[in-house]
Amino acid sequence: MSLEDLLPGYLGRQRWFAGDEPSKVVVVEQDEVAEGLQWMVVDADGALYQLVVGTRPAHEPPHFVTGHTTGILGEDGGLLFYDAVLDPSLALALLAMVAPDAQATHVRPMGVEQTNSSLVYDDRLVLKLFRRLRPGPNPDVEVTRALGDAGFENVAVPSALWRSGDLDLAVVQPFLAGGAEGWALALTSLRDFYGGDSVDPASRGGDFAAEASRLGHMTADMHIALAQAFGAQPGDGRAWAAMAERQLARLEPEDADAAAARAFIDRLRQVADLGASIRVHGDFHLAQVVRTDTGWFVLDFEGEPARPLEERRAPSSPLKDVGGMLRSFHYASQVALMEQDEPRRPEMAPRADRWERRNREAFLSGYLRRPGIRDLLPRGQSSLTTVLAAFELDKAVYEVLYERDHRPDWLPIPRSAIGRLLGGSG
Amino acid sequence: MSLINVDDPHWYQRAVFYEVLVRGFYDGNGDGTGDLKGLTEKLDYIEWLGVDCLWLLPFYQSPLRDGGYDISDFFTVLPEYGDLGDAVHLVEEAHRRGIRIIADLVMNHTSESHPWFQESRQSRTNPKADWYVWDDTDHRWPEARIIFVDSEKSNWTWDATREQYYWHRFFSHQPDLNFDNEEVQRMMFDVIKFWLDIGLDGFRLDAVPYLYERDGTSGENLPESHEYLKRLRKEVDSQFSNKVLLAEANQWPADVVDYFGDGDECHMCFHFPLMPRMFMAIRREQRMPVTEILAQTPEIPAGCQWGIFLRNHDELTLEMVTDEERDYMYAEYAKDPRMRRNIGIGRRLATLVENDRRVAELLHAMLFSMPGSPVLYYGDEIAMGDNIYLGDRDGVRTPMQWSPDRNAGFSRADFAQLYLPPLMDPVHGYQAVNVEADMRDQSSLLHWMRRMLEVRKQHSLFGTGTFEVLPVDNPSVLAYARRQGDDVVLCVNNLSRFAQPAELPLQRFEGRAPIELLGRVPFPRIGELPYFITLGAYAFYWFQLVR
Repeated sequence: MSLEDLLPGYLGRQRWFAGDEPSKVVVVEQDEVAEGLQWMVVDADGALYQLVVGTRPAHEPPHFVTGHTTGILGEDGGLLFYDAVLDPSLALALLAMVAPDAQATHVRPMGVEQTNSSLVYDDRLVLKLFRRLRPGPNPDVEVTRALGDAGFENVAVPSALWRSGDLDLAVVQPFLAGGAEGWALALTSLRDFYGGDSVDPASRGGDFAAEASRLGHMTADMHIALAQAFGAQPGDGRAWAAMAERQLARLEPEDADAAAARAFIDRLRQVADLGASIRVHGDFHLAQVVRTDTGWFVLDFEGEPARPLEERRAPSSPLKDVGGMLRSFHYASQVALMEQDEPRRPEMAPRADRWERRNREAFLSGYLRRPGIRDLLPRGQSSLTTVLAAFELDKAVYEVLYERDHRPDWLPIPRSAIGRLLGGSG
Repeated sequence: MSLINVDDPHWYQRAVFYEVLVRGFYDGNGDGTGDLKGLTEKLDYIEWLGVDCLWLLPFYQSPLRDGGYDISDFFTVLPEYGDLGDAVHLVEEAHRRGIRIIADLVMNHTSESHPWFQESRQSRTNPKADWYVWDDTDHRWPEARIIFVDSEKSNWTWDATREQYYWHRFFSHQPDLNFDNEEVQRMMFDVIKFWLDIGLDGFRLDAVPYLYERDGTSGENLPESHEYLKRLRKEVDSQFSNKVLLAEANQWPADVVDYFGDGDECHMCFHFPLMPRMFMAIRREQRMPVTEILAQTPEIPAGCQWGIFLRNHDELTLEMVTDEERDYMYAEYAKDPRMRRNIGIGRRLATLVENDRRVAELLHAMLFSMPGSPVLYYGDEIAMGDNIYLGDRDGVRTPMQWSPDRNAGFSRADFAQLYLPPLMDPVHGYQAVNVEADMRDQSSLLHWMRRMLEVRKQHSLFGTGTFEVLPVDNPSVLAYARRQGDDVVLCVNNLSRFAQPAELPLQRFEGRAPIELLGRVPFPRIGELPYFITLGAYAFYWFQLVR
């Protein structure tokens, strides 16, 4: 078996790879960029991916591969091939290549990610290796830099970029030391709540509402800075609806009442007062925000990985991000509920709803109270509600499609949200 | 030769302090009130516990309308506590055991019954007329906040004798001294010299931010106050050695550091905002409240040190938290409105943590390992409780519980004669909670505390080492490294009531082996990968990382 033969199976095991094992993988580019470090761009069923592969003699496997199966490509000709991000010395070589000025002595992988692989150096720098490659500027790099230039302080502005032709390959950013992911904080709050005896989330020590409100502030500031950096146009309900409908078409009958969903989205076309259309985060949820000692930071402006790049860069309503975060509160409350013993769940379900409602409200009021944000939003309350609900539905539909491919166990979460939204529309 | 005579000008950077209410510690003469003689009798206990320095609450002549912070003669011991001879004896006996003693000193104000004030109020022309702050109106300095909002309406009070208003930042029976007056400045130097001469090792300086008043300011942290403290330090340094000045400035860390000067003002300052944040972190089960305030804490000059504490004789001070946090703390820790005092919560540690031994240990483990010198409050080592039905702040000033005997073994006086009743409730009362029982019980909090202090003493890095928070994904885990030269101690705390996993980025310590400090148990050597550990509910580890 050659290295090329190992690729389809390897790709199929990666979280960052969309879908199951590809039927055809072609190596588009390959280069030994450092000793024992193969850099590759491969075409897997028409999509480009970046691979970094380490090579060592198979008879003495390095200790860092112990316990890893996902990151191992396999053996060929007495050589072991593995994901180079597991190999500290190769990871350091990678940094030396991407940011020759950066000095580092220690490196560790950051944990499982959906779309990229990140390495942390000396708890100071992060190298983010983009996995799925697309021609043109990487939206994360583009947006993060522009936000930094606009004076928005809650992003890690890149210090080095690695490109090849028109492909952005990797970026180096400051590491948000001591930060904790919003998702982990929300689950901490929920576990405290479900583990206690009160049915009121406000009465619990782990109450998340103050953080949710601060997150709302930061989100509003981000949108104001995005509007400043990329401009704002009047909202385009037709375009928004059309984009949502393309996605709706992919739902299965058991996912939702398709006609009701279409009607729900179609209301976007009837709203005259849509607010502005701006560059948005695009995939805004609790795992994309990090609470540090100096406040909330935003990560990863790549947009929803399963959408085409053009769609991800397309301007939209800031309420798209707001809707995304609101969906995330629902997700967190339900995922933490699924952690509970099954017999307890029915009793806990009303708590999940209360936690979600409380944090939705806190986030929204934190967001809406920020000076300047109202200029980007629909003026009337009912327009605002309609547009927001449409984007929540759109996000839930995206989630259904995503979970079907990646985490079927979690499918009931977005499905129930769709049911709830459509039910609420009458 | 006793340890105390070793010349160590920076002893306070590594010391563990123990705050004692003389009135409440031990009654040596059987009159129902604790005294200096009683405290001297209990020095063996203090030594056994491993305390390095006592901090005595005010023991000066006073009408005791504010726990002795209303001094009516700076040169006399309150007769109920004993006399000057008792004070000298206490200092000698403490020093013989290697224990130092600092005392509270209130410079900002006196009692209204102090002869200085009595003289000052007589006329506008007497020799002490200018020793206090007088004015014809009560309009001046409206920017100055009222500190005791529960009892005071204004910082000015009318005096019918002199027919003027006098200025007071605290109670109206505590007129502020006028530090613009050079005689007052000199007199305060004399007070300090007097007590250092008999052997005190320093002072905890009460209410230093308020010494001066200036138009258009809040009257806090004024340059003039700093200037005076620097002169005071110079005086002390020129005539004494190995003394410490510990400032009480309940301000944000960025303002408090000014009281260190350039290492030429106070040796120590209390870190006030850290304490409520520690409680908050436990309640929220995540580290952010603590790391946030530490990130906002500036570096301090060489030779200086923070004083850090969990509880003290005052309420759990919430002045230095945001309004949102204050509401949160009230909601979480003061479910009964009587538990609130002024802008804080009047509880002891044991009741604040709902008697959870694990939380009490975790909080102390953090206190003993975070940057600063820990200050314990008498009775917290045996998890004494409080009595919220007593007035003002007396709820946390009840008699030390020595034994299950009559009056908690605190006094042989009649019960009715006691300055305050000892706690008698079934949970925290002296029948259940007392030193004698805890001494016998090897697994008691008291024995645990003693062991912790013993371990802490083995590593000077806890006092003077660098402090660095490690990035851990799990928000319930607070991990930090203390380091001095090649000695490294890694502290890992689980703030959650559930077991938690953590991956610690320890690559830079690769090859070192963690040894758990309480049991000297070796853990697996640190490799190239993140170091994985699990922590039980409210568990903590102190690991020495050995090459």
